[in-house]
Order: sequence, then structure tokens, then C-alpha cells
Amino acid sequence: MKALEISGISFSYHSPAEKLTSGGIEYALHNFSMSVEQGKIHALLGPNGAGKTTLMKIITGVLRGYSGEVFVLGNKMPDNTALTCIGCAPQAISLYMPLTALENLHFFGVMANLSDEQINERSDYVLAQTGLTDHAKKLVSTYSGGMQRRLNLAVALLHSPKLLLLDEPTVGVDPQSRHHIYETLKILNASGMTVLLSTHIMEEAARLCSSVTLLDRGEIIFDGLMSAIDNLERFFLEKTGRGLRDD
Amino acid sequence: MIKRQLKEIVKKEMLIMLRDKQTILLLFFMPLALIFFMTLAYKGVYADKIYEKQIPTVIENESKTPKANLLEQKIQSNKLIKRVELPPSFDKDRIFEQGKAQVLVIIPKGFEEGTKPVEIYFDPVFDTGYKVAVRSLMTSLTVEVVMSIENIDAVVASLITEKTKKDMDVPSPIQLAVPAYAIFAMFFIAIPMSIGFLKEKNNGTLQRLFTYSVSSNAIALGKIIPYYIINIIQFVLMLFVGVFIAPYILNTPFQTGTHVWHLIPITLVVAAATTGFGVLIATLAKTLEQTSTLAATGAILMGVLGGIMVPYFVMSHTMQKLAMISPIYWAHQSYLDVFLRNAELSTILPKLAILLFFALACFYIAGRRVKWM
Repeated sequence: MKALEISGISFSYHSPAEKLTSGGIEYALHNFSMSVEQGKIHALLGPNGAGKTTLMKIITGVLRGYSGEVFVLGNKMPDNTALTCIGCAPQAISLYMPLTALENLHFFGVMANLSDEQINERSDYVLAQTGLTDHAKKLVSTYSGGMQRRLNLAVALLHSPKLLLLDEPTVGVDPQSRHHIYETLKILNASGMTVLLSTHIMEEAARLCSSVTLLDRGEIIFDGLMSAIDNLERFFLEKTGRGLRDD
Repeated sequence: MIKRQLKEIVKKEMLIMLRDKQTILLLFFMPLALIFFMTLAYKGVYADKIYEKQIPTVIENESKTPKANLLEQKIQSNKLIKRVELPPSFDKDRIFEQGKAQVLVIIPKGFEEGTKPVEIYFDPVFDTGYKVAVRSLMTSLTVEVVMSIENIDAVVASLITEKTKKDMDVPSPIQLAVPAYAIFAMFFIAIPMSIGFLKEKNNGTLQRLFTYSVSSNAIALGKIIPYYIINIIQFVLMLFVGVFIAPYILNTPFQTGTHVWHLIPITLVVAAATTGFGVLIATLAKTLEQTSTLAATGAILMGVLGGIMVPYFVMSHTMQKLAMISPIYWAHQSYLDVFLRNAELSTILPKLAILLFFALACFYIAGRRVKWM
């Protein structure tokens, strides 16, 4: 059984009425298929507007109204049971700034239907994993960018997900925090967690991931092993072009 | 499971709200300050007697007859009048320019024979209420002097007497100010409510919530309940201050009326209307700037129309008709029904029905327009 299996997904942000009036459908994802083996770290690469974040939202059930199928650990999405197996750290720091780290963790723990005992136990663990134990009772608004990014990851790990979705998890953080996040991901992966990593940092993808999917304008342009690619950045530019993307 | 999630969302919203000092200032201190200052400002307007104010008056006695002198004496010794001396370059057409006098009384020769009337001139910006009071005073005193009546008030008192029903004395300004500014502040809940919603949309926390098995109904309810509770706390606090604190500081009594329990259904419905307004703004606004502008402008406009900024009885007939489109008018009148009119619930219910309709309309439109992402 694969951790993630996506087949023939098509999605457009335009409403049916807009599609009719515009005369054509502009897809965010078009006939998109990919899969991720269990226990792997898989890179999802693509220029801005390629459809990476849209794909993440579809996997987590945030976006509906697509055609095609998504399976998470054998469960067809959207499915509440499968949702409990997914941990998601969005690109934006999706935390409540006026709350402390512990209050944030407790809140998201309850949303994930963990008991209070589980929340306490897992909070201690994820705070230690992300190096935030000493700052657990501080308001998130007082955190540095790197600390907020690590807490963003800690929340995603709280309910022990089997599939971790990371949307640009190291954007805007210092090398120390970035290194800490990489080490944390390696430890988690070693314990059997599958990771889908969306990133613009080629070095990050090459260092952490064993397989890669490259997409552009909602369509897949490469899907294979990282070991098959000699220089990831050069490969990326060859496949997606060197022109600037303003969309 | 849903109950626990809902409880946690409510708790989170409460914590965020109570940790925001600006929100606390806006929701609690602003109305308290308004109640105190507006009560003081309107003390004279709402009172049944002109008091604590003496009107600077120039008295020009052109007659100098015994009766004219007696009238001059009676005018200047009245509590309402503060006699000011005639400016050196007296010009009755320009007497009010320097702001030292507001009334000019001229007692002409022959006034006692009825050949020439006593003349009264008013400062053009003089309050209408005071004008009526001065006019009435001058009439009484002139009649007393001309008809040689010792005290006309005593004569009139045997003919006409003013009565009020038990527990329905003349309202003090604070009785109007407390519900007025409590309602006004309750409508301002739209600002923190809509800002909170937009912030969660923008920073992705709402999206993150949807990656858990949480229903959108639980999220919506979790965001509405805390603000509804805060609205009720706002009113209770304002009422507490109005009944137990302000009367001692402002030396102004506060009567709650004989049907004080009617405040419960009224406050529950008013809080639904104000929360509904907040939800509507949250779904209409697209940016943080828009939320503040829409919420503040909406609340102030409804306040102006509804008789909060300008007292309802001062409004023109057209404005009084227009007031009825403001939910604040219906909310304020419902409270005044309890505090001043001792009205039965059956009298208040139609007003509550209008407020409830407003609340449901807001929630319905918001429900149709809401975009969680």
C-alpha cells in the first residue's frame, strides 16, 4: 500500500459559470497523477503557480470539487479517518500569535481528537524535537521567525501522522533553524514517517529526498528517483525554462 | 467530540480577544468613558428643570418707572439669570458677538400700559430649551408686575400640577446614556470579530483547521459564541456601572424600572443582532482595513440614525422616521421601555422581533457569502 496515490486529478479555481463565459478552462492541476511510497521523503518541485500548494490542499481535503482520485494510506479522500494520518505544515506560519506554544499545541491537539494526556505527552515530545522546550510557555508573537517555523512543524507532528505534508518548511529561516529542521525530518523519516516536501530550495530537496515529482502549470513534467538526476537545479531549469514567472 | 472541539475554539477565541488590549479598550473603556462624558454633557438637556446654569443676560431698563424697576429687580434676582453689565459701546444688533451675553431684555417706556411690549433678544446659537425657559420666565414676571400678582407660580399651581406615575419619574441622562452607549459598544464587536476572522484566513490557520476533522459549523459557532458572550458581559458591566457607580460620581440617579427581568430577553436578542452584524462584516470585508472601516462606519451610522449620537426627541420628524431603519433605534427603545416606561413584555416583543429579523438576515447573508479560504 502506498502512502499517497493520486490519479487523474484536475482542478480549476474558476466557477462553472466563469468557465462557460471565459470560453476555456484554466486548470490549476490537469490530469495529474503521482504516488509516494511509504517511508520515503518525496520532493514536490515546480515554479511559482505550478500547482504545488493546490495539490497539498486537495490532499488534505481543504479543496473539494476536483475530478480524479486521491488515496491516503489506502483511504479514498476526503476521509476523516485518513485525515488523522496526515500532518500538514502550511507555507504560512499558521499559528495563533497571541497564544503560547503550549496553548497552540493543546488547541490543535483537541482539533486532532487527542486526549489531554496524549496532548501533554506529545507536546513535550514535539517541543523537544523542534528545540522549543524552553520556550513552551512564551507567546508565539515573541518568537523569532525560525522558532515560529519550527513550531509550525511541531504542530504538524503533534498527532503522530504517518504522512507529513510540508509546504516550503524552511522559507525565511536562518541556517541554524534550517539545519535543525532537516535533522528532525531525517529522524522522523527513520522512524517510518512518509514526507511530501514542497520546496523551492533545490539543495534541500537533493539532500533530503529519495524521489521527486516536477510539475509546471498544473501538469506533471517529471516523476522519478532523485538518484537519476545529476544536478537538480540545472535539471529544474531545463525542464521549466529560464524565463521569469510572474503568474 | 464536536462539543470538545467547539469548547476549545471558544476558549481560543476568548484568550485571543482578552489578550488584545486595544479590543478591551474599544469594547469596555470606550463605552464607559462615553457614558460618563455624555451624561455630563446632556445633564441639562434631559432634566425637567433648568438648573446648574445661569444665563448671562443684559437688562436694559428704558422706563425707570416703579413697575419697570420692580420687573428689573425680579428678573435679575431669578436663579436662571446672571445679569451682565451693558458693554460700553452698546449696540443691540452686535451684543452677542463677544459671547458675554446670551439674552438681552429691554423694558421699554409704557410697557405697563401695554403700549410697548418687553423685548427679548436671543443669541442665535442659544439652545431652544433655554429659549423657551427664558420666554416663559419673562412672561410670568411681566404678568406678575403688570397685574400686580405677588407670585404667579403659586396661582398657576392651584390650576395645573404635573404628575408622574409611581416609579416613573423624569429620566436622568444616565438612564438614556447607559443603554445607548452599551448598544453602541456592542455593535463595535464587529471590529475585533471581523479582524480575527480575516487574520485567520490570511495566515492560514483557518486552512490548517480544515486539515483536521472539524466541521465548518463547529468553527463558525466557535467564532460566534465568544463574541455573543462578550456582548452580554458588556451590557451587564455598563448596567452595573450605571446603577451602582455612576450615580455616586455624577450625582445622577438611575432607575431600572419595575420589570427589570425584561432586560434578559432584550439583551439576548440585542447581542444576537450585534453578533450578526459582526459576522456580516467579517464575510463582506476583504482586507483588514476594510473590516475597520465597514464596522466603524456601520456602527456610527446606525448610532446616528438610531438616536445614540443625537437624542431621538431632538431629531426632525423625517429623521425620526428614518431612525426606524436602524437596529440601534429598536434596541435603544426596548431598553427605554424597561427603564423609563415600565412596559409589559408584550409591548417590547415587536421591537425584539425586528431585531431578531435583523440578526437572522445578517447571519443568512453571511452564510451565503462566507469564504473560508
